[in-house]
Amino acid sequence: MEAILDGFKKAIELLFSLDAEIYHIILLSIFVSLASTLISTLFAVPIGIIVGTKNFPLKRLVVRFIYTMMSLPPVIVGLVVFLFIARRGPFGYLGIVFTPTAMIIAQIILVTPIITGIVYNGTKEKGEEIKRLAKTLGANRLETLFLLIKELRINIFTGIVSGYGRAISEVGAVMIVGGNIRGHTRVMTTAIAMLRNQGDYAMAIAIGLVLLFLSFIINSLLYNFQQGD
Amino acid sequence: MFFKKSKALSITVFMLILMLIFVGCSQPQEAAAPEAPAEETVSEENTTPEIENKTLLLSTTTSTENSGLLDAILPVFTRDTGIEVMVVAVGTGQALQMGRDGDADVLLVHAKASEEDFVAEGHGIERFEVMYNDFVLLGPLDDPADVAANAPNDILEALKLVYENEANFVSRGDDSGTHKMELSLWDELDLAPSGSWYAEAGQSMGAVLQMTDELLGYTLTDRATYLSMRTDLDLKIVTEGDNKLFNQYGIIAVNPDKNDKINAPAADLFIQWMLSDKGQQLIGEFGKDTFGDSLFIPNAK
Amino acid sequence: MMNLTIKNLTKYYNKQCVLSIDAFTIERSSFLGIIGPNGAGKSTLVKMLAGLETPSSGEILYEKSLISPPIYKSMTMVFQKPYLLRTSVFNNIAYPLKIRKLNPKAIDKKVNHLIVEMGIESIKNQNAWTLSGGEAQKVALARAIIFEPALLILDEPTANIDPASILTMEKTINKFYQQSAPSIIIVTHNIQQAKRLCKEIAFMHQGKIVEFGKSSDMIHHPSNPLTKNFIEGEIIL
Repeated sequence: MEAILDGFKKAIELLFSLDAEIYHIILLSIFVSLASTLISTLFAVPIGIIVGTKNFPLKRLVVRFIYTMMSLPPVIVGLVVFLFIARRGPFGYLGIVFTPTAMIIAQIILVTPIITGIVYNGTKEKGEEIKRLAKTLGANRLETLFLLIKELRINIFTGIVSGYGRAISEVGAVMIVGGNIRGHTRVMTTAIAMLRNQGDYAMAIAIGLVLLFLSFIINSLLYNFQQGD
Repeated sequence: MFFKKSKALSITVFMLILMLIFVGCSQPQEAAAPEAPAEETVSEENTTPEIENKTLLLSTTTSTENSGLLDAILPVFTRDTGIEVMVVAVGTGQALQMGRDGDADVLLVHAKASEEDFVAEGHGIERFEVMYNDFVLLGPLDDPADVAANAPNDILEALKLVYENEANFVSRGDDSGTHKMELSLWDELDLAPSGSWYAEAGQSMGAVLQMTDELLGYTLTDRATYLSMRTDLDLKIVTEGDNKLFNQYGIIAVNPDKNDKINAPAADLFIQWMLSDKGQQLIGEFGKDTFGDSLFIPNAK
Repeated sequence: MMNLTIKNLTKYYNKQCVLSIDAFTIERSSFLGIIGPNGAGKSTLVKMLAGLETPSSGEILYEKSLISPPIYKSMTMVFQKPYLLRTSVFNNIAYPLKIRKLNPKAIDKKVNHLIVEMGIESIKNQNAWTLSGGEAQKVALARAIIFEPALLILDEPTANIDPASILTMEKTINKFYQQSAPSIIIVTHNIQQAKRLCKEIAFMHQGKIVEFGKSSDMIHHPSNPLTKNFIEGEIIL
């Protein structure tokens, strides 16, 4: 219990400490998670909309696959990505193991199904109706797609926020492919895991609180952005 | 507050037991069958009937766990005494912290100074030396800093070579016993390693060995973890046998005054067993079959 | 302004025939009411006319050609439960003009004019998702006629809305018909409404058009006993 109280105090100290290492950890966390969420969105939104509005063979299988992928354990994703990019792996020649790039790739794999699944769900419900309306008003394919995105923006937004939440809070994947290297690939979650291992619970809680606080700020920003439409 | 913590602990232990039951159920022909008769023999031959609580929570370091020593000797202890040992493998820092918080019954760690402080502060009853292993410096097969040629038995000279060549080096960076050992060596050299060649991983020994292998770098490791993983690694020992590289393990029973959930009788029994001829012999034999050599040298007084 | 020719049109759902029309023509600038009991195939027919369902066999010709993007551009349909875009009433009505690349000034002028005409200025800037049923249906109608389609299909547009809104809707439809002379097809349950609005009425029963004629003739002197039964029943109710 004292650790939690200490954590509150340390969290405030941390934020105002101007300690370069802490800021690097925080900024890297935000950068990696935002980058992976953004790139995932580019794939996930069109896929979610297409699966939600089109009928094709094996559609049910595809949907089940997406839903399953939504609950992929980060460690497994981390491990698989690691095996691909490791020195002996097929993409070892890229030399990206233990870099932020590797962390972003692993998180894209984690986040894309989440955004896809949520967008698919919204599209399944309303997509048919929106498409029908677009057709009767004379919209072409591109205009229909834009209309779908615009009308489903709340679902898309929910997907992005959930995806970002997953990215910033997961530790398994970034730990394995990033390696938690100090000043290079250490992010908030891997720092927390490490501090826990070292028995420094108060500091772990402090970083956890900073993480929570940042998630709140970023979610608020996204929310405002979405409301201001 | 102690009450809450020990409640959390007992819930954890309860869940662990539940999980064990599940594991047992899922493999009825393998696990369940030998377990049942083992329990029976225990109840007949039990030499210490006064111990009611049959579970002991051992907090130890990941390097001990990774070596496989505990998997080899703990079943024998359980057969001898009927006490199940739950192993929580964490960093030395957290292992000691768990002791301080009363979340473990007994500690098996390797950071002498911290252990002595731990006992001096009243968190533990007494520290016993139980065994030692040694550290080695690993490097890539092509050994770019030429350590093996120039400093096969001199760890300070070896690290200096790595430093001067800025060869990739992966540090545990996690406040573990191994990390403390490494830092004390840099200290002795009066060097402060930094830069892109020096990666502080903040992870377990096993993970650090994998990373070192990936980065084709050097790292300081305990011999046990290295031997247990060496077939998967393109790394070789470049420096060994320096007196500075010996690593003493201590065993400490957590002070039972902390809370009423601490299983002091079982902790005492475990320590006695580890220090007994039988325990010491088992420790010494471990690894001979697989690696052709002992991983730990017993040295109880 | 558009004529439609139906040839040997059928529609099957799960091997069950729900629609079968051998030959039927809707002349340019006709105002056709489609009536009939539930399950007669009215909705299926208009959905096919609107290009939202594909026939199982046969064809529909729009001025001698099959459905195509340019034809979609000049026709539209209003549903019983309209989908309004998650934006203001103004933007909803302006949407068809925006995708037709009209300049913003012209859009402004046209939309505002129609909004005033329909008496919905008070909700102009309201979010369309917060409207009542009657208001929503008026917005959907405005959005349909704003681009002056050559063919307007209405599928029970005034079911379940208040009498005042029905009146505004009928006035608007009528005015649009007088000014632009489009072809209008309306599915309705309301015989009085059909009489008020339509020039011709087609009575459907079990997937077929069983009677077709001038609306006053149909309502007062139906020749088919099914039509007669239906009309009398509806009027009594």
